Parts: sequence; C-alpha cells; structure tokens
Amino acid sequence: MNKLIPISEAARRLGVSIDTLRRWDSAGQLSSVRSGPRGHRFYNLSDIEQFTKDQYSIAKKWVESSFAVEPESYMYCQTRDVFQARLESFQAKLSMEMSISTTSLITAVSGEIGNNSFDHNLGNWPDVTGIIFSYSLRKRIVVLADRGQGILKTLKRVKPELVDFQGALKTAFTETISGRLPEARGNGLKFVKEVIVKNPFTLYFQTGDAYLYLKQYDKEVEVKQANTFIRGCFAQISFEGGI
Amino acid sequence: MIIQLKKFGKTLVSRPSGKEAWLAFQPVLNETVPGEEVTVDFTDVLVLTPSWADEFLTPLYNSYGEKVKLINTGNPSIKASLAILGR
Repeated sequence: MNKLIPISEAARRLGVSIDTLRRWDSAGQLSSVRSGPRGHRFYNLSDIEQFTKDQYSIAKKWVESSFAVEPESYMYCQTRDVFQARLESFQAKLSMEMSISTTSLITAVSGEIGNNSFDHNLGNWPDVTGIIFSYSLRKRIVVLADRGQGILKTLKRVKPELVDFQGALKTAFTETISGRLPEARGNGLKFVKEVIVKNPFTLYFQTGDAYLYLKQYDKEVEVKQANTFIRGCFAQISFEGGI
Repeated sequence: MIIQLKKFGKTLVSRPSGKEAWLAFQPVLNETVPGEEVTVDFTDVLVLTPSWADEFLTPLYNSYGEKVKLINTGNPSIKASLAILGR
C-alpha cells in the first residue's frame, strides 16, 4: 500500500513551503489526498519521490532543449536577488538536518556555481535570463542550471587557444583564469573542486558536450565527452555522505 | 578598528554584495588613523565564498596590508574560502 505523509513532511522533502504545496494542489500540479475528519492534506510518498526525480530531469531537459522557455517559478531564479533569497532559505532548512560543516560548505558551493552563472552572463544571456536552482533534502541533492553562454565562449575571450568544451571545462576547474579580465577573478570553480574532493560530496558538471564527475579524494580533474549537448552549464551536487 | 562581517549578512556569497559591502564601508574605513590595525571578525558568519571575500578582503589587504587581522575564522566555508585566496 502506498504510504501517506502529512503536508509538512512533503514540504520538507521537496524543500518548498506548505503554502506552495497548497497552491500546487489547487493548480493540479501535485495532488494531495484528503484524509481525516477535517480533510487534511496528505501525500502519496511515491508521488513525492517521482516529483523530486522529475525536478532534475526537468532541469536537464531545460538546458538541453533548443526551445527557450521559462522554467516553473518554484525552481526558477530570474535574478541574483531571487537566487540569494532561495539559497538562504535552503541553508536554513539544511541547517536543521545537517552539520554546520555540511550546511556551510554545500551552501557556499551552490552559491558559487549559481552566482557564476549570473557573473558570466550579465547582459549577455542568449535567451532565458537566470538559473534553475532546485534541491531535495531527502535525496541530498542540489541542481543548478543555466542557458547562458557556457564556459567555452566565456573563457575563449581570455584563452583564445581553447577549441572545445572539454579543454574549457578542464581550464575552469584547474587554472586561476577569468573570463572577466581585467578583473581579478577565477577562483570560483577551483574552490568548488577543493571543497568536493575534501568532503564526502560529489559533483556532476556539464557545459556543452563536456562533463566531469568529482568525488572525495579525487586528485585529478577528468573531463569526458557527454552524450548530450547542453546550453550553458548544468551542475548536480550530492551531499549524501554529509553528516 | 574591528569590522564585524555579520553586519553585512550571515550568508556572504555573491560578488556584487561583496563589492557593495566594500564600497559602503569606505567612510568608516577612512576614519582609521595611520598604522591602526584593522581586525576582521567572522563571528556568526555562516557561509562565505571566495567571490564575496575577493571583493571585500582583497582590496582591504591592498589598502592595509599587514595591518589586517582575521579572527574567528573557524567556519568550514570561511576556512576554505580564505585558503583559496591564499589568506
């Protein structure tokens, strides 16, 4: 039999507010089951799990698609201010379940990747402005995606010898180089790498047709050819091993 | 002078907010007397990224050099950010 969970538990698992769930229920996006004498909302656990899974495939499809559409508002941060507010909300929820160390580092890594998208595409977004920021506290996963210019185009301005996405991705994670010269920048993704390899976290990062997968204790950044092509950048951070 | 970073927020993440913090703090910094130590206190800061730190600490070091002291830097994201910036 399908397990029912209360709305508060469903909200916690999805990382959204109870009001958001009520709205989704009314709109038919994620239906509840009414139970008890007062008709309280409950959710099928399998529906919540499926919905969570869908969030990530939605983000991946969004960056792969040749059609530019705005994502659903609950995962869409059109501006940096929206991202900052949602990042702080994520941090507050994370701190209730995880250690200070995991909360602090995962929020910092997510913040760097998300803000990188805004830093490098400000005034130059090819189609949809902003990023997807989505997470599941139960699955301990954060997803960030943008339909920006991608790392190759950004870094080619300062390193013209770059010819493919694989070279650009490797450069971004291993060299202190900035696509916003003459500003002194270029530490963001090196910071992300350092945090991932020193903690029980993993990172999948793709730009164009190049991807890398980093985990704890990795010494080298190994960039591979992906089967799919994405616009901009897509990152999935997992902190399943975090405490 | 002691700069309490928590007065700029507890989640110090983006470059624009780091830059804004630096600019907004200039009138206070201008009150320091020559040779005065500038202490940056990280108490209660929950999240710091190299991006924010680069916009605030790098110019602070450029202006005050060895007079800059960092205290209460035990939070993991603060430690990791300072390490990547070579501080």
